[in-house]
Amino acid sequence: MREIELTAVTVEFPGRVALRDLSVRLDQQRIAVIGANGSGKSTFARTLNGLVTPTSGEVRVHGVDAVRHARQLRRRVGFVFSNPDTQIIMPTVAEDVAFSLRGRGLSRAEIRERVADALARVGLTEYAEAPAHTLSGGQKQLLALCAVLIGEPSLVVADEPTAYLDAANSRRIARFLLDEMPQQLVLATHDLRLAARCEVALRFEDGRLVDHGDPGPVIARYERDQDQ
Amino acid sequence: MISLYRPGNSPLHRLPAGPKLLVVMAAALGISLTPPSPALLAGAAVAVTGAYLLAGLGAAEPARQAWRLRWLVLVVAVSQVFFLPALTVVANVVRVVVVILLANLITLTTPTGLLVDAIERALTPLRPLGVNPSRVALMLSMTITTIPVIAGFAAQIREAQRARGVPVAPLAFAVPLLIMTMKHADDLADALTARGID
Repeated sequence: MREIELTAVTVEFPGRVALRDLSVRLDQQRIAVIGANGSGKSTFARTLNGLVTPTSGEVRVHGVDAVRHARQLRRRVGFVFSNPDTQIIMPTVAEDVAFSLRGRGLSRAEIRERVADALARVGLTEYAEAPAHTLSGGQKQLLALCAVLIGEPSLVVADEPTAYLDAANSRRIARFLLDEMPQQLVLATHDLRLAARCEVALRFEDGRLVDHGDPGPVIARYERDQDQ
Repeated sequence: MISLYRPGNSPLHRLPAGPKLLVVMAAALGISLTPPSPALLAGAAVAVTGAYLLAGLGAAEPARQAWRLRWLVLVVAVSQVFFLPALTVVANVVRVVVVILLANLITLTTPTGLLVDAIERALTPLRPLGVNPSRVALMLSMTITTIPVIAGFAAQIREAQRARGVPVAPLAFAVPLLIMTMKHADDLADALTARGID
């Protein structure tokens, strides 16, 4: 089951409504979320991991109620933030990846093995013992992805994961997310080329879902509206 | 960079973190409580240099570390020089330097993770008193991780001020640093939540 279902979801913050009466059902493998700053796309992304609790409405991700079972949901839904620096919790690369396996009842040997496999997968093996903050921006974002994927989530939510990266690192992260990663992906992004590579695009405006469907036409209408 | 660990295979690198911490604590206590004498102080300095050599860090490393402490040495010495005999002042300065060099020796020869694990194990008996060793260990790790981040913020602010030709002003430095640090704390809290720590 890989269905994401939001029913009449409203999210209010002091002084503003971030999402308004959103109902949508998604089961595509690659889902793009586009819209201007403050449109509600990050809030939408955060409700999927239980980081934001809806003021009203229901969020179900892969059959799990995001409000009542947020802790259980976070084991299934990995979240990648835009700023790689704010995702590093432990001092070294290997320790930061291993941190995601806390409380899973694994032995030290199992953790070491899984960390080594995960680092090899994203090409960071040689940096395992390096202080995490000495990595480049692209490497830090790969580390963040690695720390998410080692938990074997069924869904990865990435909130503008290329925003802080140069062109080469953006391509590297995009290739990993869109071509190599087997998990379902929700990608909130300003990069319309990345959105175009997804199977469906959602467009938010002022907290409302104003358009969704095949990315090509959704993006074309978004660009046309921006030009006006 | 706060992570000072230098990989190696010396006897000190191989010694587990727990006993290493205990030995250093005992040595620090010993040198602090023993009455000052020139022979004892010279012996302590030689022993510390020997420990650095044993760790394969070279004889220059303790000198480099001691040089970094010059301002602290100055403060300790100046604050006592008018009130205490010369030997006592020298003894106190040597004690402070030796204890810090020994502590540095631990961080230079022990990966941070093992150090934090040892502290977590040492705190386990305090669990009945309401201490959560895992939380304390996590807090220590995050502190170690965050220090270079905040140092980076400070560098960014200084650079931005220089770029705008603003003279050094403590308030204009402290306020943005505080705001950036608090924003980082918020983001870090989100990252912890996203990774299953509530």
